[in-house]
Amino acid sequence: MRVLFFAQLKDVTGCDAIELELSSPLNGEQLWARLAEQFPGLLAHRGNVRLARNWEYADARTQFAHPDEAALIPPVSGG
Amino acid sequence: MEIEIELTHLPVAEKIFPPPTAGAHGAWLEFRGVVRGEEAGQPIAALEYEAYPEMAGREIRRLLETLAIEHPCLAARVIHRIGTIPVGETAIYVGVAGQHRAEALALLTEFMNRLKQDVPVWKRRAVPAAAPRQSAGATSPEALRFLDEAITEIQTRCQPLPPVRVPLEAAPGRVLREAVCAPEDLPAHDRSTRDGYALLADDPAKTFQVVDTLHAADWKPRPLKSGEAMRVATGAALPCDGLRVVMQEDVERNGATIKIIRREAALNLRRRGEDVRAGELLVPAGRRLTAGQLALLATAGCTRPLVNPRLRIGHFTTGDEIIPPDQVPQPGQVRDSNSCLICGLLQPFPCDLVQSHLPENFAAAKQLIATREPQPAAFDLLLVSGGASVGEKDFTRPLLEWLGFETIFAQVAVRPGKPLIFGVNGHRVAFGLPGNPLSHFVCFHFAVATALARLAGESGPQFLRGRLAAPLNEAANPRETLWPAQLTMADGELRLHPLPWASAGSVTCFAEANALLRVPADCPALAAGAGVDFLPAGGMLGA
Repeated sequence: MRVLFFAQLKDVTGCDAIELELSSPLNGEQLWARLAEQFPGLLAHRGNVRLARNWEYADARTQFAHPDEAALIPPVSGG
Repeated sequence: MEIEIELTHLPVAEKIFPPPTAGAHGAWLEFRGVVRGEEAGQPIAALEYEAYPEMAGREIRRLLETLAIEHPCLAARVIHRIGTIPVGETAIYVGVAGQHRAEALALLTEFMNRLKQDVPVWKRRAVPAAAPRQSAGATSPEALRFLDEAITEIQTRCQPLPPVRVPLEAAPGRVLREAVCAPEDLPAHDRSTRDGYALLADDPAKTFQVVDTLHAADWKPRPLKSGEAMRVATGAALPCDGLRVVMQEDVERNGATIKIIRREAALNLRRRGEDVRAGELLVPAGRRLTAGQLALLATAGCTRPLVNPRLRIGHFTTGDEIIPPDQVPQPGQVRDSNSCLICGLLQPFPCDLVQSHLPENFAAAKQLIATREPQPAAFDLLLVSGGASVGEKDFTRPLLEWLGFETIFAQVAVRPGKPLIFGVNGHRVAFGLPGNPLSHFVCFHFAVATALARLAGESGPQFLRGRLAAPLNEAANPRETLWPAQLTMADGELRLHPLPWASAGSVTCFAEANALLRVPADCPALAAGAGVDFLPAGGMLGA
């Protein structure tokens, strides 16, 4: 599953996307845990970053699985 | 509610029209969010925006649809520009059409509030404004410029040339300098899409009297009565409203009467205004005109569009070691490849190019220029190849200053192409290009192409985002690098293959290059699959 990073999170991870190998679907909590193994620096942002799945904001029940596109959305500042 | 959403790297047009509401709206409310000249108390030249485009488009639509439940409006158009947006230009445009102003105002206000909470668009970075020229340091011509600073300075210093009206045949590749709207509905009448017979759409009769014949160019308005039909050719303008066309294959003709043997559901006609309604925007200002847009202008009767003038460009090559390509080089000599490189790179830009070679002696070069026509003052843009470094014989900067150009910068922190000179003299601009062909190639795409675009009234080349198809392993370099690469499209993604490249003297790699990868300073290596910024180059220019 592809996971996208935006704005300041790109500076934390050093890339704008990664591929995660998933053996089974993950909930948001598990996805964060997987990402934190690879990029511990992301945890500092967790409080104000929202998860998205297939271009929609995720909620507590959202399951992430291949071939979804997941994204970490830091606070937005458009307009 | 009709909704149109656009995320674009291009400037937002000056004049924008509401989506069609069939005349039902009494209020058309427009809002533009503009980049302010200050961010966190510091003067800035531009703001860089980033978006998650697929999601941003959906969120904007979802927001508008949700808000329209409480504030029912007829139509909305949202344009968010992304990439680098100079101060004073529009970052977001919102237009709302409502029956009355109250609901349109409410929807617009609420939308802007919610946009700033939910739509994945980010102000990524402010580009600092260049400090006033008299202050020492960063903006003296001697100071090294970063790539972004150099591009911003070129964008700010180059002003669009006064536009001219030209016939359509002279307009391909020119930049349109006015928005062109449809003067009438297109098509202007209901038209048949079949060879057949026109009759009243709901006429139950089986046999019809053929009362007239319509060819493609005919215009014979008249009402049709029940039981009457008109023979029509494909493309013919129908004589009145409320008709349908029955294909000729579906009737039996007997003298002046026809009998319908099969009646299709399709009406077989193109409705008046089906393509475009009168007053709708056809081509916005600031677009480099393509064949398709020219055809559209012709259809709308815009036969003398307002566009940029042909650019007048002078190109001097320098260096005594340079010989014409048809001669055999002696030891120490090289064939001139920069003249045809520049000529080729200028192909997409309508211009008149004058090229000549200067002797490698400042006094002799000045004398040659002084006695030759056309004079350098006749050029909108002057390019000088070679002589850009600071060696004894490198006279490009003194030459440009002798010609009245003020040197804005003479070094850019980019590899290759560091000794790039940029000068201005009124509305005229000049570049001293480092002599190596690869440096020419690189400097042309980030610097000269920016100036050409601005002079013509366009926004200029933009970095795009792609993915590396192969790793780029390279010792970290303190300068940013624009690395020649080949761009391909695979699985719906732009993929970049870095080309082998040893030094700025390389002449083989850019023959295959159609992109320049932006490798950050001090970047040790990039893995295959990494996202990278790139500039389209060579054949990809203007793509």
